[in-house]
Order: sequence, then structure tokens, then C-alpha cells
Amino acid sequence: MHALLRKIGPFLAFSLVATSLSPSFVPWLGAQDRLVVTDRLSRTVTIPGRVERVLSLQSEITRLIVALGASDKLVGIDYFLRTNDRLFRIIYPEQARLPLASMADYNVNIETLTRLNPDIIFGAPEDRKVCESLQEKIRVPVVALASTGRFDWLLEEIKLLGDVLDRKEKAAELMVYFKQTIGWIQSAALDESPGKKPRVYLAFYGALNRTVVNYEPVNAAGGINLAKDLLPASLGVDKTVVDVEQIIKWNPDIILIHGNYPPRERIVTVENVLRDPRLASVAAVKNKKVHYTFGFWNWWDAGQVLVETLYLAKLFYPEKFAAIKIAREGNKIFKKIYGVDSVYSSLCDLLKCGDWAHD
Amino acid sequence: MSIRIENLTYRYKNFTLHIDHLQFEGAKMTSIVGPNGAGKTTFLKCLCAVLPVTKGSLFFRGRDIAAMHADERARLLAFVPQEHSSAFNYTVLDFVLMGRAAYLPIFSMPSANDVAMAREALDFVALGHYADRSYFQLSSGERRLVLIARALAQKSEILILDEPTSFLDPKHETEILELAKKLAGEKQKTVLVTLHNLDMAVKYSDAMVFMKKGEVIASGKPDDILSEALLETIYEIKMSILRHDGRKFIVK
Amino acid sequence: MTEHRRPKLGFLIYLLPLVVFLVSLHFGRVHIPFVDSLKALFSPLFPSLTQGPIADFKIILYGVRIPRLLLGLAVGASLSVSGASLQALFKNPLVNEYILGISSGAAFGASMSLVFLGKNFPPQVSAFIFAIAAMLIVLFIARKSDSPIIALLLTGVIVSAFFSALLSLVEFFASPYALQALFYWLMGNLSTAGWKDLAISLPLIAAGILVLILMRWRMNVLSMSDEEARSLGVNIRKEKRLVILVTAVITASATAVAGIIGWVGLVIPHLVRMMVGVDNRKVIPMSAALGAAFLMLADDMTRSFASFEVPVGIFTSLIGIPFFIVLLKRSTKAWL
Repeated sequence: MHALLRKIGPFLAFSLVATSLSPSFVPWLGAQDRLVVTDRLSRTVTIPGRVERVLSLQSEITRLIVALGASDKLVGIDYFLRTNDRLFRIIYPEQARLPLASMADYNVNIETLTRLNPDIIFGAPEDRKVCESLQEKIRVPVVALASTGRFDWLLEEIKLLGDVLDRKEKAAELMVYFKQTIGWIQSAALDESPGKKPRVYLAFYGALNRTVVNYEPVNAAGGINLAKDLLPASLGVDKTVVDVEQIIKWNPDIILIHGNYPPRERIVTVENVLRDPRLASVAAVKNKKVHYTFGFWNWWDAGQVLVETLYLAKLFYPEKFAAIKIAREGNKIFKKIYGVDSVYSSLCDLLKCGDWAHD
Repeated sequence: MSIRIENLTYRYKNFTLHIDHLQFEGAKMTSIVGPNGAGKTTFLKCLCAVLPVTKGSLFFRGRDIAAMHADERARLLAFVPQEHSSAFNYTVLDFVLMGRAAYLPIFSMPSANDVAMAREALDFVALGHYADRSYFQLSSGERRLVLIARALAQKSEILILDEPTSFLDPKHETEILELAKKLAGEKQKTVLVTLHNLDMAVKYSDAMVFMKKGEVIASGKPDDILSEALLETIYEIKMSILRHDGRKFIVK
Repeated sequence: MTEHRRPKLGFLIYLLPLVVFLVSLHFGRVHIPFVDSLKALFSPLFPSLTQGPIADFKIILYGVRIPRLLLGLAVGASLSVSGASLQALFKNPLVNEYILGISSGAAFGASMSLVFLGKNFPPQVSAFIFAIAAMLIVLFIARKSDSPIIALLLTGVIVSAFFSALLSLVEFFASPYALQALFYWLMGNLSTAGWKDLAISLPLIAAGILVLILMRWRMNVLSMSDEEARSLGVNIRKEKRLVILVTAVITASATAVAGIIGWVGLVIPHLVRMMVGVDNRKVIPMSAALGAAFLMLADDMTRSFASFEVPVGIFTSLIGIPFFIVLLKRSTKAWL
């Protein structure tokens, strides 16, 4: 007995030390290689240490899996990516061959999912009940994740995916690249005397008075999101609703409109904000600083969010970023992350947003 | 010769009401009697154009009652139903005031004159002091009187009362029939009443109509048509007619 | 309660919306000192007053608060009057203004517009059209019935369910981003009020309320059974259809612009009846006044409660229900 312990002991000690270095994971001793994670709905889920068949109902996770080069492990694709996402079709045209795993509004068919036989399911944190019932019915761990506007949560997702998909190296590479890019944008924006950071109001979700509480690209680009101190409407989402007077009271320097729509589908437009008589006294309107920005599109695409941060930095500090060409940098970023050429230019063509997204 | 009925037919499921020819005299009280299911209430409703007749016509001074507009007809005849309920607890005066609807166009308010007429009608049924009470507080007898007052406020020539004395005690029964008689006599109205109490019918009516199984078996003055044979035909039991104090009484 | 005469109460109720309107002008995120608010209010008449911050205050008053309050006034009045009228017509105090399928029709119309017509077409128009369509379908299906109260009620329930099902279908297939605006609208709110919306809905609502107020005595008669009303000289078919049509138009107009706001049409007429009795000569116009004041107050709470907007329907329930219970306990009625 003692001899056995002496042999295993150091190995156990080593595992303890190694795995305890990553704060969100707690190792199980002696059992199969497993991880315990806390998802964005504050659920504690035990997942296998390695997965081969991944079902992601959450678009952001699917995009990361493709970025990590593990797309062969995808067993299905969610409704949104299949029908509403132009970017994903450029990055991963093979998505057309994946079985459709959900219908609109995360509606899933239990039989279909069971047949796809995943080892793990990634869900969206919008509906706790769906996640719980799925886990119960299919007996597969369901992890609800979303960045909800935070870089650190996006990076945690990359790390977790790298671990369970056996893409640790690529994950580390991606995380480093991501942090570095944000890092240089941020320091370029805020170098020298800080000056005055632009106060920004985000008009997202198709209405002037719906805004998002956490949106780190704005912070990283050296701006202040005026809604940052508000409470989100509910757990797992990040949006809230304000009234027009609040916008007037804030008096933003810049208004950013959710621009991931082609012109035909835009409900809130730069023109109608500039023409809105109620906003006449607002600095952003007076100085014509009302612009589109990409914003969420069913959470984030890692490449998209980097380009957006750069775009915003250039918007907030045009002189400091005068030499940067968004289109060129955009294509470079997507090439680095997905290995595909001209993604950004193609996206702008599809969305017909070259007028504001290029330079 | 106020109301004339020609060849009236009304069919509903298995029941057929058929009256070849019948006349009601003006300024008189006529009671319609007969067993349950004889079609008395149905007949009244046809008369008021509440039910659509299958065939035939009802004439008042030569004019077809069913063809009139609702307001015109309401100025002509007023109907007091046997059963009544209201979802809302109106005051007695507001209730009676509704009787003026036939004289008020759709967007008009009742005038002081209309209110005066409503009060007058209430006074006639001796409930003037109840004007501000709420309808739900009244006893069933008092409610009946209020319904009659409403019908009076309609100022119509014809007044039709469907079983006005059912469920009432003898005192109230008498009150109502006295009132009906007064309306025929003093106010010169043509009053039609359906009754179960044959004694009261005999006592108060100027004319009677005996109905059975949707047909009129006999009509005319009580003295003329009342006989034990008729009663047995109508009610299918043996009854005796007794005399006392100059009045006729029917004993089963 | 019905024994007491309270002539002054009526006067107070009619005055209430005006008072609430003037007070509510001072509610809002931007603090406007009282004197400045008066200056800003009268600045259209005295252009010289519009200087400096007064100009900004003027924009807030005339661009944000006044249209919102006017909308609250119009919507509150129309929902209450509709509720009161339909309660009389259906001889049932538990009826509400959405009973003929109007809310479901409006929701479905708005969703269709947002999905198929996009931003170029205001969803309000489609919402209005389908709300009226729902009501017409209900009338058509129930037309044969000669004693149609139950028929109308049941048909209303069925048509509502039908349009709700259609709405679910649209939601099912549409992109979540296309329908963001819809979900927000469905919850009922006055924050999207602009003068453009008011320009069309306000006259419609005013005209409709006027018609119903003119018919206020007639409603007493219509609240009797059909047979009685007919024997009292009323052309039931015509007059009931008129009431239903007018209530549908004003409810649909209100719903198209403000979304679905519940409880108002049920609670307000009840409150009024408990205070002044059931005579519709008082109930109909006072419901309009009290409903207007009530919704403006509820919206004031929405605007002041937190920095984010809570749907006003939550406040209409929070205020309406307890108030109702308290008055219920004090009333002499045994039922309900």
C-alpha cells in the first residue's frame, strides 16, 4: 500500500498543482479526466476532459471552435448561424453540410439532438429552463456561455474550448493574439495625455432607446459607455431600455447605432437620429457624430470584435489612427484567426456597409 | 278593434302557435289564460315582434306591427316581462327613465321633461318615494311595479304584461291587477295580461282568451264564455264554478 | 356606497387628468427648475424666452414629455371608455376592452409588418388593420346568433387564440433581430411616442370617445337584455354594432401605438362605478377622465422608478389591483 502511494503520490501532487493553476477549474481525483465549470447562468456543470462530438447551439462558441481548427468535431449547427449570419458563411462555407440542430429562438427537437449524439452541448444563457431540461433529457452536459460584452469571458471560452477540444496550442496562440491586439489599440488610443474620453451612447437592438450595458470594445477603444452603470434587464443578457430623456441628460459625444444590418433592414438609421427633433440639443447630433458600428450579431465573432475595436478607436481618435486602414487591417485580422482571405471586404460587400465600415 | 291578428303562425321545434283570427278591444283589459305550454308567452312575444312570426300579421289600427321600426313600435306597445334581471344596480328612477328610450334619438340625453314623466310613472305605481333606491334592494313585488312604471313611461297605448302576478303574495297580486285595471279604465290603455289565477282573471278582465296547445279555444267576455265544460277541455281536470257575493269562483 | 350622493366627486374626477398632466410635466430624468419650465412651456408664444438652456428645456417638454403625456391621456381614456362600454353591452362587469380579439390581432399585425415590410412601414398601421380585422371576424362569425352575447364572447376568445397562434408562427420563423422591436412593443409602453404617432391616433381616439360619450345614456338601455332593449324601442343590431365598432377603433388605435397595456379597461370602470354608481351617463365620461389620469400617473412611475424603463403595464397592475381590492372591501356589494 505504501509503495503504491509512493508511486502515485508525486503524480497526484503534480496534477493537483498543475490543474489548480487555472482558477475556474477544480480537478476530480482518481476519476476519469473531468472538469467542473461554472457557466454564465451560475450553474455548475461537470464536463468530460476531452470531447469529440460537440453540439454548439451558441453561435459565438461555434465560431471559436472553427477558429481553433476543431470544426471537424461539430455535429450540428444552430439556426441563427445557418440562416442569419453572413460572416460565418464566408469563414466556414462547409457549414452548409452540417445538420441543423435548432429552430428559431433556440427551439430544439430532443430526438434530433439525441441522434446527433454529442458529448457536450453549448447553450445560450438566455433561457435557463431550456438548458436544464436539455441536460436532463439528453443526459449530456449543457454549458451556457456567452461573452456578454466582456473580453475576459470571451478569452475564458477560448481557453476552455482549447482544453476540451485538444487545441491547447491554438487556443493559447489565439488568446495571446487577441490580448496583444486589444493591448496595442488601447495604448495607442490612450497614450500621451489622456485628454477627454468620448462619452458614447450605444443604440442597439433596433430601437433608439435600447442599449447595452457591457460593451468592452468601447472601453478598449478609449471611450466611455454611458450605460455602463445600469443594471441589465435580466441575468445572462446585457441589454436594457432607457427613455429618451435619459439620453438627452447624458448628452453623449458620440452615438453608435447597431449597424450589422444591410440598409434595407435598418430600423434606426444615422439619418433619422440626426433628424430626430428630440435629440437636437445632444452634442453627438449637433456635431454630426452619429455612426454605425457592427455590434453583436448573436454574441461575438472574435475577429469581428477586434476589427470593431480598431474601428471605434479610429472613430474616437482619428488623428492617432490616421495611418490605419480599417479594411486592410480587418482582412489581416480575419486571416490570422481563421486563415481565410479577404473576409472583412467580403462581409462589407454583403452587408453593403462599405460606406461606413471601410475608409 | 285595437289589435287584430290574422292567420298568425309561429313554429319552434315541435311547437306550433296558430291563431286564425283574434281581436283585442281598446281601453279594455284582456287576460290570456291556459295551461303551461299553451303558448301564452310565445303569443305575447310574437305580438311584440320579439319573436319573428312564420306567417301571418298583427295589425294595430290597420298597421302591421312587425313591420314597424323598433322605436315606433315601442311608442305603441310596452312589454313587461315575467323574468327580469339586471347586471347593474341602477337606481329605480334611472331604471324607469329607460322607458323613454323610444322617444330619444341615439345620441340624446333625457330631458327634464323625460325625468318628470319617469317620476310620474313611478308615482302612479305608488313608488315615488323609492326613486333614489337601488334596484337590487327591492323585493320582487316592488321590482314588478318598477317594471310596470318603466312600461308606463313609454306612454304607449298598449300595455302587455306577462304573468305579472307570479310568485307574488295575495296583497301584491291584488295591487298589480288593480293597477292594470286602472290603466285600462283611467288611462284608456289596451292591457293584455297572462295569468294563471283564474279567479283573478275572471274578477278583473273585461275579456278573456283561453289558449291550449298553441291555439285559441275561446275568447270573449268572462260571463259569456266561462263554463265548466270549457274549463275541463282546457285544463283536463274537473272544475266547478261557484257563485259567491256576486262573483264567480273556480274550484278544482 | 350607492346611497351617498357625492356631486363634488364628479367634478374632482373631471379635473384630475388636467392636474395630473400639469404635475407630470415636471417628472423626468432631466431636472428642470419650476420657473424655467414655465418659461419653456410658454416659449412658443413668447419666442424671446427661448434662450440658452430654456431652448433645451423646450425640446424636452415639447419633444419628449408632452407627446408622451398626451399619449398616456389618450390611451388611458380610450381603454377605460372601451372597457366601460363593452361591460355595459355585454352586461358583464368582468369584460375588458380586448375581448373581441383586438390585442391578438394587433400583435400579429405588428409582427407581420416588422418581418415582411421592414423598417419602411410603420408597424402601427398593420397593427391597427389586423386589430379591426379580428373584430370584424368575430362579428361575422357571431352574426347569426340572435342572442349573441355568449356567442360574441366565445368567438372573441377563439379569434384571439387564433391570432396568437399565428403570431407564434411568425415569431418562430423570423430572425430574432427583426422581432426585437416587436417584443418591446408587446409589453406596452409609452416611450416611443412621437408627434407623428399622435397625429393619427389622437384624432381617431378623440372622435371615438366623443361618440361613446354621446351614447352614454343609451348604454343604460343597452345593458338590459336584448329582448327588453328591443321592446324599449332600441334597434339593437345597429346600435350594438356601432358601439363595438367604435370601441374597436379606439382600442386598436391605442394598442397600435402603445402596445398591450392591461388592467386599465377592467379596473377603471369598476372604480368609477364604486364611487358614483352605475349610471353610464356618469360612468362613461368619468372612466375616460380617470383612465387618462391613471395611465399618466403609471407612466410617471415608469419614468421615475429607475434609470431603465419598466413596461408601464407593470405599474398599471401594481397600482390598479390593490386600489381595487381596498375599494371592494369598502363597498356594500356582496358579489365579486
